[in-house]
Amino acid sequence: MNRKIILLMVLILALLFPEGCWSRREINELAIVLGAGLDRTADNKVQLTLQLARPSAFSGGGENAGGEAPRQNNSWVVTGTGDTVLDAENNLALKVSRHIYWSHSIIIVYGESMARGGVRDVSNFFMRNPQPRETSWIFVTEGEAKNVLESHSELEKTSAQSIAFLARNQPGYSIMLEDFQQNLTSPGTNPAAPRIQLLKLGQPQGVGMEERLRHEEVGITGTGIFKDDKLVGWLDMSETRGLLWLHGKVKEGAIIVPSPGQPDKKISLAISRDKIKVNPEYDGETVKFNVNIEFDMELLEQQSNEDLTQPEKIKEIERLAAEEVLEQCNSALAKAQGDYGTDIFGFGEAFHRKYKTEWKKVKGHWNDEFQKARVDIAVEPHLRLTGMLHRRASLKR
Amino acid sequence: MLEDGRISSRQATFLMSTMIIATVVLFVPSITAKYARQDAWLSIIAAILAGLLIARLATTLGLRYPDKSIFEYPEDILGKWPGKLVGLLYVCWFLHLNAEVIREYGSFMVTAFMPETPIIVFILVVVSIAAYATINGLEVFSRANEIFLPLIVGSVIILFILALGQMNFHMLLPMFDAEPEDVLKGAIAPEGWFGEVAVITVLIPYLNKPREAHRVGALAVLTCGGLLLLDAVGIIALFGPNLVEAWLITTLNGARMIIVASFIERLEAVIMIIWVTGGLIKITVFYWAAALGSAQLLKLKDYRPLVVPIGTVLVSLSTLLHPNISDLLQFLTSVWPPYAIIVFEAGLPLLLLTVSLARGIRGARV
Repeated sequence: MNRKIILLMVLILALLFPEGCWSRREINELAIVLGAGLDRTADNKVQLTLQLARPSAFSGGGENAGGEAPRQNNSWVVTGTGDTVLDAENNLALKVSRHIYWSHSIIIVYGESMARGGVRDVSNFFMRNPQPRETSWIFVTEGEAKNVLESHSELEKTSAQSIAFLARNQPGYSIMLEDFQQNLTSPGTNPAAPRIQLLKLGQPQGVGMEERLRHEEVGITGTGIFKDDKLVGWLDMSETRGLLWLHGKVKEGAIIVPSPGQPDKKISLAISRDKIKVNPEYDGETVKFNVNIEFDMELLEQQSNEDLTQPEKIKEIERLAAEEVLEQCNSALAKAQGDYGTDIFGFGEAFHRKYKTEWKKVKGHWNDEFQKARVDIAVEPHLRLTGMLHRRASLKR
Repeated sequence: MLEDGRISSRQATFLMSTMIIATVVLFVPSITAKYARQDAWLSIIAAILAGLLIARLATTLGLRYPDKSIFEYPEDILGKWPGKLVGLLYVCWFLHLNAEVIREYGSFMVTAFMPETPIIVFILVVVSIAAYATINGLEVFSRANEIFLPLIVGSVIILFILALGQMNFHMLLPMFDAEPEDVLKGAIAPEGWFGEVAVITVLIPYLNKPREAHRVGALAVLTCGGLLLLDAVGIIALFGPNLVEAWLITTLNGARMIIVASFIERLEAVIMIIWVTGGLIKITVFYWAAALGSAQLLKLKDYRPLVVPIGTVLVSLSTLLHPNISDLLQFLTSVWPPYAIIVFEAGLPLLLLTVSLARGIRGARV
């Protein structure tokens, strides 16, 4: 009997001290951060913009639940300024009734002012603090990051989610915080991040749809390239393709080339399974890179009338595709290597892998060395498939 | 005898393995990567080899006196008072080691999961549970550990497989880039942890087949070495040597990187499971060793009355040892491994074995 009473007392005592009580977070006391934007103000302070989820917008019901109910903002965008990111967050928190919670933040947007001045100072916060995730997607934008976060999305609940999903589908060059930091710490490569911009999109779809006026939606329009931690320039979409090729990261997409027999008509080729080999050569003076890109294609569209299934036509298509890819690579190289002298392709790492001892001499000034390097690119496309047709279906016979 | 429990060779192997894995995956990969960079795996292999030697040394010494522990046979070897001194040193070492582990345990929970909770809460809770386990004796926590270890090993392997998608094995190239002396420097820290297998000198009298002690020691080092190798290769492939070196608890960040099909993510809780179960067993083993050792030195009839006082010492020591986490890390990086290896893991056992061989004395045969 006595033992039972003591046991009961112990159990009751245990209830008084559940370990988790201190750091508990009730969901209705949290302001959940979806995305963060960082700008540098004119007086050299950090301006932090947070997109916070409005819980009511996320709770139950479909997009159109309630029928005619007026559309509401799904998120709330707040801005704060300070000397450091945390200082800015604390100043921002003065306007937010709930505890700011970073664990669900999925994007970090650097405004141009911040990116040009260097992102190393502010990125530390996101690595050191246990709440933000290493898997957040990184972006740069022309102008202010604040404006980007203030937009909304037609398809997703919030623009932060829309931007993150864009990055995940990788139409352009996507990069996570962890990879970005890794590129910053490595002397053999420089980071790059997708450029996002506000684009005028969408038309009212007929009468009575006036409330859905044209609005600005965020889209990926290229890539911002960095030298060390500072943004130095932009690649457009075609040059971004070149960057993706040179990273071996072309997951999908198409190449458009003229039809071999009828150059005014075009054909579309879908890409799959790209492989890249970077083979550096070093004679003690100059560095040379032999780059070999190999990929498979599928013929998915043909405007011309000719029969493309003959072997010599296929050879010709492969040659034209190789030319197109080569041009994309060279345009990306010309910008990064020629104009800005920054190795965003990780060629330095390839060099390090092959020349361990020589690397120690060049790694301190790798970007200069890279600027002088020769890059020879060989492209080997293989047209493997022709879609569901083997010849044109709409021709009169 | 003070401890009536007897454990099988398998239970002993499991116990040693859990004990080492629990803390080795926390700070060691980043300490090793600091010196050996992407060649950290080389350092770890070197550490495994040295760990096997230390295990062999400990078991060879222990098996000369199969019915006595390291707190008792130094008296036979060195004479009464010098022997007692050696035993006392070992008790102190187990206390100190345990206090460090408890501090690591608390720091990890506070840094990674519950930053607003005072560290003393975690320390008190874990020491209370460990005290309870110690009072119940060797057999009880050995059996509990038979459930924990498969859980821990399974979690590490599953996490590795899930993270494969994010890994880039180019990060491990170029191989043999680090200078040989840096590879060796990188090996010191994991070696310090593998060397904790020396605690087998306390366990040998309680094995039901002491003759298998050699195998127990070797298997434990190989299990932990294998897992640490997997862990280190995995996180270097994830982050590259530069980031691995910068993270405080790299394995945790590795688990945070896992995103499979957009819904298997945020798996750091699994790391917490590994750490809490493994950490508890480790703390219990050294707690038990210290309590048993004190009782054997003082020729008491029971070690249980010592459990609470020792717990008090552990709690206060773990709070007083380091003013902050940088100090803890600095200590674990540069002071602890050489100190532990030279004095307790290799030095004293080697001295005892040499003297014992030279004097040609040995204990009862089993």
